[in-house]
This record gives sequence, C-alpha cells and structure tokens, in this order.
Amino acid sequence: MNKTLNRRDFIKTTSATTIGVVTVASGITLTTFASTNKVPVTNEKRWGMLIDTNKLTEADIDGMVSACQKEQGWGSELHSTGSQKPGWIKKVKVKDKATGKVSNLALMCQHCEEPPCVDVCPTNASMKREDGIVLVDKHLCIGCRYCMMACPYDARSFVHETLSNQKEHMPRGKGTVESCTMCVHKVDKGEVPACVTSVNSDAVIFGDLYDASSKINQTLKTVQSAQIRADLNLNTGVRYSGI
Amino acid sequence: MNRLLVIFLTLLVSSVFAHTNEHASLGEQASSIKASGKVFHESVSIIRKMHPEFLRHKRDKTLRQGVRTDEYSLKGCVSCHANKDKTNNQYHSVDKKGQFCSDCHEQVSVSLDCFSCHRTTPKEDSL
Repeated sequence: MNKTLNRRDFIKTTSATTIGVVTVASGITLTTFASTNKVPVTNEKRWGMLIDTNKLTEADIDGMVSACQKEQGWGSELHSTGSQKPGWIKKVKVKDKATGKVSNLALMCQHCEEPPCVDVCPTNASMKREDGIVLVDKHLCIGCRYCMMACPYDARSFVHETLSNQKEHMPRGKGTVESCTMCVHKVDKGEVPACVTSVNSDAVIFGDLYDASSKINQTLKTVQSAQIRADLNLNTGVRYSGI
Repeated sequence: MNRLLVIFLTLLVSSVFAHTNEHASLGEQASSIKASGKVFHESVSIIRKMHPEFLRHKRDKTLRQGVRTDEYSLKGCVSCHANKDKTNNQYHSVDKKGQFCSDCHEQVSVSLDCFSCHRTTPKEDSL
C-alpha cells in the first residue's frame, strides 16, 4: 500500500490540482465581479431586445408601460399638459395600407449603435455606454432638446416641472431630457428590464446580442426581424418581428 | 475692564455652544455609527473638504461605466444622514432647512443642486 510517488505521478496529481484550483478561483472572481460591478462595462456585450408583435397583445403593451412607470417613477406629473408629459415607452399602432394588417408596437428608445442624439448633443450629455445602452447624463444636460429633434423614434421627453420623490435609482429633474434606460440599474445587477418581466409570454426577449448562446441571439438567427426605419442605418438594439 | 471680560466670556461660551451644535442633524444612522465608535469615513476633515470631488468621480463612473459600488454613493449619504420626524415617522428631506446637507451648504453659501434630481429621502416608502 505504501506506494512511493514517482516523478510522473507527482506531476500528474499536482497539475490536476492546479487546474482544479485555477478553475474554481476564476469562477469565484467572475461571480464576484458580476455581483458587485466593480469593473467598467465593455463592448464585449451589446444589450438588445426583440419584440414579437404577433405575440404581443395590447394589454401586454399597457402592462409594459405601467411597469416602466412604476420602476422609473414617471407618469405622475401634475402640471405638464398632454404633449409635455414624459413618455418613455409608447403604444404605437401601425397599419399596412395594402393588406390592412394592424400591428401594435411598444416603442421606446431603440438604443442605436449610431445614435443621432449622441451626434447632435452639444455637451456630451447624450451618451452611449460601451455595452450599447444609450443614456442621458443629466449632470451635463442643459435641456436644449436637440436630441429630441434628432431622434427619429420620438423616444425622448423633457421634464417640464419640478419633481420630488424620485426613485432612488432614477434621478429625474426639471430642465433635463430623459428616455428609456433599458433599466440599466437592473441590467448592471444581472436582472432584466421591468417591461420585459411584465410580459408573461416570450413576446419580448432581452439579452446580449453578441453572445451566441443567448436566447435573443438564437431567436434572431431563426426568425425574420426588422428594425424600425432600418433605412437610417442606425443599427438599433431593439428589433421587431412580425411587422 | 469687567464689562470687557463679560463680553469676552459670552463670546467664548457662545462659540463653544455653536461648536457643539454643529452636528445636531447628523442623521440617525450616522449618529449611531458615530456613537458606536466605528469609523465610516477615513477622515472627517477629508470627507468634508473633498465630498464634491468624490461624488463627481463616482457619478461619472456609475453613469458612464456602470460601476455601482457603495463607496461615495449619494444614495448612501442620504440613507445615513437623513433624519426621521418623530411625530409622523416620515423622513425629512436632506435638503430641507436645518437638515444635514442643507445645514452646511447654507452656512457656506454653496448651492445644493444634487437634490433637484436625486431623491432626498431614503428608499421608496410613500410611492
């Protein structure tokens, strides 16, 4: 039983243990980074959304809108009139004139790869994060609203009144522009946006467009999908199928 | 001479009182941390002097790079330094007169812009 360890055995066992330890250790570091978010986001990911208009009912869209309002705290502005009221996500009806087919879209910031809002912003307040999420830096926003004019999707709104009791994770204030953030505070924690969770079916899929194993990537490979105003070459992060 | 001495003593006593009143509105959680002897900020003088820079750096890292750590987070400042109203059990806004943030800012005449957008009380209770 008392086997002496020869050189070959020694190398075998130690290398196996080392590999094991390295694997476990790298696993630990990865999970730690993911949970605390100490590292800046990189362009290895690009967050996107696929909305299936055939599966998405009108009630679903209403649910998405109210989930967004509840999560981000907009929609209860008292003094703003109709067109002044913010709308981060809208229900849009489109009709094919030839066939008469009506589709309901949930339209929010499309998180373009080449965002026109970022191009025109004079203060760099409009910005795109490395992982493709387009945001407004309200610390720099001067409220000029060029970005609102530049956006082909009418996705941005302007806060016209003094607000209080904002959400802890979503500062909002008078004189600044705001729009869908793809629930960036949740995405950074590894969660999915509020509107996506509010839909019970798989009509809205959220995920990393670059990750070949993600559901959104695989679905996009198999189903036909479209960008709204694809002719503008903005390469939107939000895509629609069934229109 | 006596009169001068009285004036001098009054000034001395009042300045002592002013000094002890300096942190009347430190905030419940912050007060209990201070009382327990635990050190939260590396140095009170540094955090007093440097908090705008810390917050500015943190805000850019969070918003632009998605780095969401607790260190120097404005949420953390508010949750620690907010005071509760004893009568209705509701939090006072930190930018309200006499509260922790506004207390100092008013004294040094520096406008407190953070809270035109940021929430002034901890968590969402009333929404």
